[in-house]
Amino acid sequence: MLLIALLLVPFLAAAVLLVARPDGAARTIALLSSFITAALAILLWVRYPGNNVTLLDLAWMPSWGLRFTVGYDGTGLLFLLLTGLMFPFIIGAGRSEGADRPALVNALLLFTQSALFGVFMAQNAFLFYIFYELSLVPLFFLLLFWGSAVPGRLGSAKAVTMRFFIYTLLGGLALLFAIAYCVVQEPSHSADFNALHALRLPGDVQIWLFWALFLAFAVKLPIFPFHSWQPDTYTSAPLQGTMVLGGVLLKMGLFGILRFVLPIVPEGVEFWRSTVIWMALIGALYAGIIAFRQRDLKRLVAYSSLSHVGLLCAGLFAQNTYGISGSLYQAFAHAVLVVCMLYLVGAIQRRTGTTDLEAMGGLKHRAPRLAALFFLVMLNAVALPLTQSFVGEWLMFNGLWQRDGWMAFAAVTTIILGAIYMLYAYQRVMLGPENAKLPQAGDADQHDHLVLVPLIAVSLVLGVFPAPVLNLLDGSVQQMLSTFTALY
Amino acid sequence: MSALILTSVLGVLLLYLGLFGQKKLLVPVGVLGLLAAIGLFVMDRSINVPMFAHMVSFDRAGWLFSCGMLVVTVLIFLFGADYYARQEENVAEQYALMIFSLTGALLLTSYTNLLMLFLGIEILSIPLYIMAGGKRDSMRSSEASFKYFLLGSFASAFLLMGIALIYGVAASFDLGVVKEVALRQLVQPDILFTLGCFFVAIGLSFKVAAAPFHFWSPDVYEGSPTLITAFMSTVVKMAAFIGLYRFVGITQMPPTLGKALLVMTIFTLMIGNIVALRQSHFKRLMAYSSIAHSGFLLMAVLSQAPNTAQVLFYYTFTYSLATVGLFILMTLAKRAANGDEHIRIFRGLFRAKPWLGVVMLLLMLSLAGIPLTAGFVAKYQIFLLAIGADLIKTTVFAVLMALVGIYYYAVVIREAFTPSEEAPALVVSPVNLLLISVCGISVVLFGLLPGYLQ
Repeated sequence: MLLIALLLVPFLAAAVLLVARPDGAARTIALLSSFITAALAILLWVRYPGNNVTLLDLAWMPSWGLRFTVGYDGTGLLFLLLTGLMFPFIIGAGRSEGADRPALVNALLLFTQSALFGVFMAQNAFLFYIFYELSLVPLFFLLLFWGSAVPGRLGSAKAVTMRFFIYTLLGGLALLFAIAYCVVQEPSHSADFNALHALRLPGDVQIWLFWALFLAFAVKLPIFPFHSWQPDTYTSAPLQGTMVLGGVLLKMGLFGILRFVLPIVPEGVEFWRSTVIWMALIGALYAGIIAFRQRDLKRLVAYSSLSHVGLLCAGLFAQNTYGISGSLYQAFAHAVLVVCMLYLVGAIQRRTGTTDLEAMGGLKHRAPRLAALFFLVMLNAVALPLTQSFVGEWLMFNGLWQRDGWMAFAAVTTIILGAIYMLYAYQRVMLGPENAKLPQAGDADQHDHLVLVPLIAVSLVLGVFPAPVLNLLDGSVQQMLSTFTALY
Repeated sequence: MSALILTSVLGVLLLYLGLFGQKKLLVPVGVLGLLAAIGLFVMDRSINVPMFAHMVSFDRAGWLFSCGMLVVTVLIFLFGADYYARQEENVAEQYALMIFSLTGALLLTSYTNLLMLFLGIEILSIPLYIMAGGKRDSMRSSEASFKYFLLGSFASAFLLMGIALIYGVAASFDLGVVKEVALRQLVQPDILFTLGCFFVAIGLSFKVAAAPFHFWSPDVYEGSPTLITAFMSTVVKMAAFIGLYRFVGITQMPPTLGKALLVMTIFTLMIGNIVALRQSHFKRLMAYSSIAHSGFLLMAVLSQAPNTAQVLFYYTFTYSLATVGLFILMTLAKRAANGDEHIRIFRGLFRAKPWLGVVMLLLMLSLAGIPLTAGFVAKYQIFLLAIGADLIKTTVFAVLMALVGIYYYAVVIREAFTPSEEAPALVVSPVNLLLISVCGISVVLFGLLPGYLQ
């Protein structure tokens, strides 16, 4: 029942907002709904018995393999928690004053949340796919209505939206094809993950099917060379939209790899492993170098996210305890980080009226508390020991080292690049002589503290004491790896 | 059987009503008659009973298609009340012709004799040629009518030639005999039989607008009155597909023909989707989208699995619901825009009438095949069938083309959700609002619970 409540609470709240359009109370209603879901997610965690749980199994379209089967294991729970805990901050990040049609924005955000919960609790490949695609529809409108133009070719908000939509759907349709293929091959034509994981496809099929399955997630994450939609979309999207995209939505890619790619086509994974890891690492290095050259703060965050995500994917494909746990742990850390970073971008933009790094400088003198918050977030971003990111990156680094020394070397290089561009950005925004042309801006207010302080606290606490999350993952990761090693 | 007679009589009755100037009664009588026909079908348990001296027999699939076509015609009739409200002359003829055409369509769902196939196609087509020219003062409409008639006659000639050749080999028009002959053909192929099947397939592909026999459809769709376009892209499509499906099933598809159909499928998918990308005229866009959907349906026809007919029905019926809804919306928007048919007439729809905007979104998403709409379930089933029939590469191609399709539907959606300076002044009558809502809600409902269309 808890899972159904997770699906329904945001959905109903969104429906209320959409129908009644209470612009004044929209943010309050959305926040209330997101607090309820966060509480439910935590309750789910408290009650977690430590193994794979299926809570509900209803026939929907059994003849084509679709059943409404929802449940979770340790990894699923992690992502459910992530979605539940991030959304109060994402919704809270919206300002009530001067908002354009707040009821609609919040309704779209809540619809996305509901679809995301669906993805993370689905125990049926087809059901997963349905929620996966549904999460795209509200974002399409969020981007279309509130997107801003990006300077350059193909830069109008409409063009960016269409590119994002088509790119993601390309991956989605490839996934649909792969699911259909697996369902036809499966003797009882079931699309349940359990049945599909037990499927043993011939080796040569696995080698091409790997790409049909992987493409969707490679685009969603995105991995080099499928990333070209990402920087423009992140830059064009409204702040909350980017938070959803970068903080939560892309985690569907990791989750999908975990649910589909690794267990269904193990031979394909074995075959393509080093190709994919190198693709991911090259993307991470490349994005890190580009991030350094960005003039626009939001675009810099987009590229830094791209760089981090490359590393996450590489860690997952290392496919050992360190790699997978590290990648999942870092997925959590990355969500916290992205939401913080983007919130700061918004806060800085509100004070200076720009996101252009060249036009800023010396903000620290006027807004010392904001500078301090930025500094703390930055420590997490550069993966300083005792922050959450350090734990994840250290584990992934270990995992990659077990595969290949050079991969680990590339991974460390991305971490160093990350430190360089983050520190450089901090320097250009906060330090140096005060830029006289900037408007007079106030320091961090109560709203800023309410959003940023809890997130920073989480990242520091889990950096010192990562055990709760790692324990949660341990059982599921071990179980997955044992089925995999049993094969070889 | 009684339903067939009823529809024939209904057409004549409507003509008489027109003759006596009872314009107000046309729609109520027509709708009641059609509902009675549906009722007769539902009551009638004579499934698989040969009728009219082994000419016609309704099996489960034929029954489903017949009911589906009747339902869609009811929707079109109800829309017609508003569509023809300002036209005084020749309204009864339009309705009567539509009913006659429908009778032909019913024959196509149930033929067990090649002659019946030909008769069905002709009864279906000839009223359509006239209806396409329904706007007598419009050049475009006359052009559409003439073009459709000319090309359609060629197609009918091919069909007849093919039937003659098959008769030459089988010495019978009866499908039971043809089926036995076809089975023998697998061992001992006869070029005349293959050629005959090929010609019949050409004649039928013309009706489903499969490439390379699709050239008529954009022009005819554009020129015909919108109501007739809606009828053509829904009922006629359903009829042509069940006809083609039966024919392909019975002749077991000689390998050469199978290959030809596969090539046609690929071309249809490609031409329909790629050319639609460049269309900014809504009716032409719908025409190419209809060609594209024919491509997907042909994939199902090629697979010939036990549940193919059900999938075809589900696909065509839900496609028809979405299409009728969209054509109604388009007519309303066109009126508000003084006869413009460019897709920009939808701009600002969501701001002006939020509910219509949402319904339009649902209908378009269904055509594009986004989950939780019926269009998605339909496409997914087609992919399952095609993969089951080992058409892996074609399926991959179809998936890519589905993506292209999503793009041009998304362009229209984007248009409807872009605010405009001057909001379109749509006037929506209660009946139209009801029709549009029914279409929008049912594509979602059938998407969620597809079991009800089995």
